[in-house]
Amino acid sequence: MAIAKKVITDPLSDNNPITIQVLGICSALAVTVQMDTAFVMSLAVISVITLSNAIISAMRNLIPGKIRMIVEVTVIASLVALTDQLLRAYFFEMSRQLSIFVGLIITNCMIMGRAEAFATQNPVGPSLMDGLGNGLGYSVILLLVASGREILGSGTWYHLQVLPEAYYGNGLAVLAPGAFLILGIIIWIQRTISGNFKDD
Amino acid sequence: MSKPKGDKQTFLFAFVILTVCSMLLSAAAAALRDRQQMMVEFDRKRNVLIAFGVDPVHEDGTRYTPEDVDRYVDEFIREVIIDADTGEIIPDITSADVEPRLLREKRKLPLFLWEEDGEVKRYAFPVSGYGLWSTIYGFLALEDDLATISGITFYDHGETPGLGAEVERAWFRDQFEGKVLYKDGEPVEFKVAKGRAEAQYPDMIDHAVDGISGATITGKGVADFITRDFKKYNKYFETIR
Repeated sequence: MAIAKKVITDPLSDNNPITIQVLGICSALAVTVQMDTAFVMSLAVISVITLSNAIISAMRNLIPGKIRMIVEVTVIASLVALTDQLLRAYFFEMSRQLSIFVGLIITNCMIMGRAEAFATQNPVGPSLMDGLGNGLGYSVILLLVASGREILGSGTWYHLQVLPEAYYGNGLAVLAPGAFLILGIIIWIQRTISGNFKDD
Repeated sequence: MSKPKGDKQTFLFAFVILTVCSMLLSAAAAALRDRQQMMVEFDRKRNVLIAFGVDPVHEDGTRYTPEDVDRYVDEFIREVIIDADTGEIIPDITSADVEPRLLREKRKLPLFLWEEDGEVKRYAFPVSGYGLWSTIYGFLALEDDLATISGITFYDHGETPGLGAEVERAWFRDQFEGKVLYKDGEPVEFKVAKGRAEAQYPDMIDHAVDGISGATITGKGVADFITRDFKKYNKYFETIR
């Protein structure tokens, strides 16, 4: 049980996929202008990585080594395509706003990385937990960046006015450089707190 | 990956996993198609409303449901079909009765009339054409003078997010309001500037808007296709002007 807990909590802080491993930052930059897109993206990534880890782990003794990565990508791509179809049917507006970035979950290195590093070597239960943990770790950062960008950029948080109406909105926070700056600050804070990062 | 596998097993495994994945996706696509189609149709209607200047959001901030949109459409909007060759209305049909190919090729032209108390207040029609990567689809609404733009929206395109995709943003669309497509008895060549319209087209500021930086070609595409599509409808407009 202690191990299962560590598998989940580790990616939230000390082994966070974005701030420590710096994986999956493309989408972390692209969909974080507002909270609602970041939130839906988080849910999509959590479901894809949890399921892909579980499925790949379940097949880990069957997958031929030669086509291991192709099989992993096939599973991930199928799950992403399925997610995209569901979003189009039930969250039309959101799927328009996320546009190509849902499809690009396929190329999120974090998901492939967890499949390779964890799911191919561990039983289904822990792999599922690992996927969930990493998905949550990714989401926490996504939502933090989105909070920063929406508040600084538009003066709102999840469309709720949090800064006075007079606040004009900082254009930099809305554009990509704003995401880099905020993400950089979060990584700095994270690594200061964790303190275990050695740059050899 | 416990033990190495022979080629035969590798092929078999690949075949099975690909079959399962593709069956699953086909099933999902088939099962969800109707609902996706419905959402696309809803989005089209909603964008006709937006072009007509209706903000499809309730006072409490919730968005219009498909039923809300239908209610508006039934109450105020009437669709007619114009024959592109003759410039005349084909009586008693809507775009549902026309072969999709003829609509795509713009030989039969749908026109939406916003009617209040039996009088047509505004006109809206679909506009579409190439941007940089993709076909951009939208609706353009005119005042009852058949010259002044009252609103424009873009609802489907594959332009680059952050660059060409900015066409759907309010700051870009709002500029079109009050500009003209028809002046001194003939259609104008509409312009989307590279940069500021005042700087590039000072003499034609009544039919030019600011461009999007980094999306000059998308802007040119938009200007060209609204000019072109307006000319097609103008044949009919001449008969009622």
